[in-house]
This record gives sequence, C-alpha cells and structure tokens, in this order.
Amino acid sequence: MKRLIPTAEMTIGPFFPPEFTQGTNDLTVFDGRKAAGEVIEIIGRVTQLDGKALDNVVVEIWQADSKGRHDNAEFQGWGRAATDADGVYRFRTVKPGAHDGRAPHINFLLLYSGLMRQLQTVMFFSPAADPVLDAVPVSVRPRLIAKREGTVYRFDIRLRGDGETPFFDD
Amino acid sequence: MPHLSLDRRDPATQSEGVVPGYAQTSQRWPSQPLVRRPQTQSELTGPQNLARRLGTVRGDLAGHGAKRALGQLIHVRARVVDEDGVPVSGAVVEVWHCNAAGKYIHPNDTNDAPADLNLYGAARMLTGDSGLVELRTIKPGAYPVPDTGGWWRPPHVHFSVWGKVWLARLVTQMFFPGEPLNEFDAILNAVRDPEARARCIARLAPTSQGPAVALVYEYQLVVRGRKAAPDMP
Repeated sequence: MKRLIPTAEMTIGPFFPPEFTQGTNDLTVFDGRKAAGEVIEIIGRVTQLDGKALDNVVVEIWQADSKGRHDNAEFQGWGRAATDADGVYRFRTVKPGAHDGRAPHINFLLLYSGLMRQLQTVMFFSPAADPVLDAVPVSVRPRLIAKREGTVYRFDIRLRGDGETPFFDD
Repeated sequence: MPHLSLDRRDPATQSEGVVPGYAQTSQRWPSQPLVRRPQTQSELTGPQNLARRLGTVRGDLAGHGAKRALGQLIHVRARVVDEDGVPVSGAVVEVWHCNAAGKYIHPNDTNDAPADLNLYGAARMLTGDSGLVELRTIKPGAYPVPDTGGWWRPPHVHFSVWGKVWLARLVTQMFFPGEPLNEFDAILNAVRDPEARARCIARLAPTSQGPAVALVYEYQLVVRGRKAAPDMP
C-alpha cells in the first residue's frame, strides 16, 4: 500500500474557541468516577522570548494513572487547559506511577499563535533515570523537573530565551 | 498495548521554526534544537474514548431559515485516515472558522468587520466508520492580520484532530482552491514542499454531486501512525 504523508500541521492561531478549553483541566473525575491515587495540582506560567506571559495558550497533557496504567475506565489521563491573562495554566490530576522503565512523568503539548506546529515537552517529579529525560542535555534537565509546593507542582514553560524549556521532536 | 513507533516528521512537508513575515514565531519557537527522544508506551498510547470527555455536536453551523448565516453555503466532507490510508473511526474532530466577513466570535479578534448573529463558527464532531465528518457551514471570508503591513489570511477552516496515539495529534488549517491569497499566505507557504501545500487545499467536488444548494468540498486529514483500526499485538 502506498504510504500517505501526514498532513502539514499549522498554527492553532489566536482564535481557538474559548469553550473548547473549559471544564477539561480536572482529570480526577472521569465519567462520574473518582481516580485513585494522590491528588495533585500542576500550575505553570508560559512565557516568550521577551519574558511576556502568554494568554490563551492551549496546553494538553497525557499521563498514566497512579499505578502506571494508560487510559483505563477510572482514569482517562488526558486533559486540556488554556493560560489566563497572567499566562498561567492549571491542572488537577493524580500523580502518575512509574511504568515500563519510565519514571513518573506527564506529557505536555502546547498549541499557540506563532507556533507553526505543536511543541512537546515532559514534566518530571524528581531527577530520576528515564530514557526521555536522559536524552536531554544534563545542564537543562532541571528545567523539566517540577518544583513542589505542598500538593502543588509548579512547572513553568519558557518557549524561547533565558531558561528555555527543552522541547522534543518525535 | 502500544502501537508501532511512528516515523519522524519530514521537515519539507511540515513547517516549524521562525517564519519570515510571521513576527510572533521569533518570540515563540524554541532557539535550541528539539531533543530527539525514544518513543515509549507513554507516547504510543492515547485516549481512545475522548468523546466521553469532550461532548460532540452535529456539524451544522450554517443554520436554517431566518437563522441562516450569511454567506455561500458549503458542505465540507473531511476524512481522517492514517499513513496507510486506513480510516480513523471514533476520532474527535474540532473545527472553527470566521464568518463570511472575516470576523471570529472571539474576544481577541480586533478586526473591524461585522459579526453574524446567526453564525457560531465552532463545532466538535466524531468520525464514523469511514473516518468521515460532514460539516454544513458557510464559506469563511479573508481578513487582514493586524500590524503586519498587508498580510491577509486567505479563507480557511481550522481543524483539530486526534489520531490513535499521543504523537498523532494534528492541528491544521484547510484552504480553498482558486483563492489568490493562498499564494501569499505566510502560514500555508511555510510548508516548503509544494505537494504538501497542495494537500492542505480542499477539492471542490463536481456541483452535480451532493446537495444542490451547497458547494461541496472534500478534504483529507492524514494523521501519524499506521493501521489505525486494530491495535498492534
């Protein structure tokens, strides 16, 4: 069979419908069921080269449940948020378990005006042996590790410039 | 179980980086090279029942009778397939576009063009067994991009689609054939390969086919991944 080439991605632009990002950032309840595990909040600020905080950035996440399983009946593991006027996004979820040689982590995908296609990064909870974290230059690995403040994990994302977040190509 | 690993993106058929004429790209695209990572189960799985999280509605934005939106009635048949051409069924498809005068219903749209109270330019649909979604709407207008010295976006419809795995997410724009602005658009032309650009332009079906009152446009969205239907053993 002739192989088709994936459609070119294009920027999400500045006009993504606001209601598409509402009510989708709490992963702890799915289909009326409460997820098992440690409930946490993830909060972060998205900034650009000149340090400006960015409004209406679409942030999507994908993660395993507390036992390291993907997409089961109690916990879907997918969520979406948009940054507010201060550039801040928020998720409520459960802390993922380790699985298949991977340390606990949450996959992030960013869509925004001025990004020609999606940007992917990964949030970790602590420095740990992990094949994806190990692929990142040692000096910038700490930027992928969230800062814990009680039950809140802070994960700021710098698209470009000082303290730039490492992003992945797949 | 995870799917087969995906082929890497081809930079000629995908755009990225800082794009001339699109100023925000130089503030936002990372300056450091993207890190190549191994593909593990985490990236090769994805939500299979996203419609249970994201409610879907019928793809009719044009309205009827006195509530009909202004503009040329169109009917978009968009098919989601994988790299083997296998239809992706049960995929959530989000679409949004501006009205016939080039105005979005969005607080960030400063374009001085009239709103159309009968057009709500956003829908979320689910593909059927043949990977198809059908959207009845009106053809969006062109509009100027602020502070760019004359860049006008050609008429386009935004699409957001989920393939079977996390890495198969696709957000893109569908363009219309025969639009003179297509040739000058900084976003469409950031795709270097002319054939890849051409695939971003919908095909006008013969006017003898489909509903007589609407122009029918056909469009194919190819998401990353192979053999969408069965999970790999």
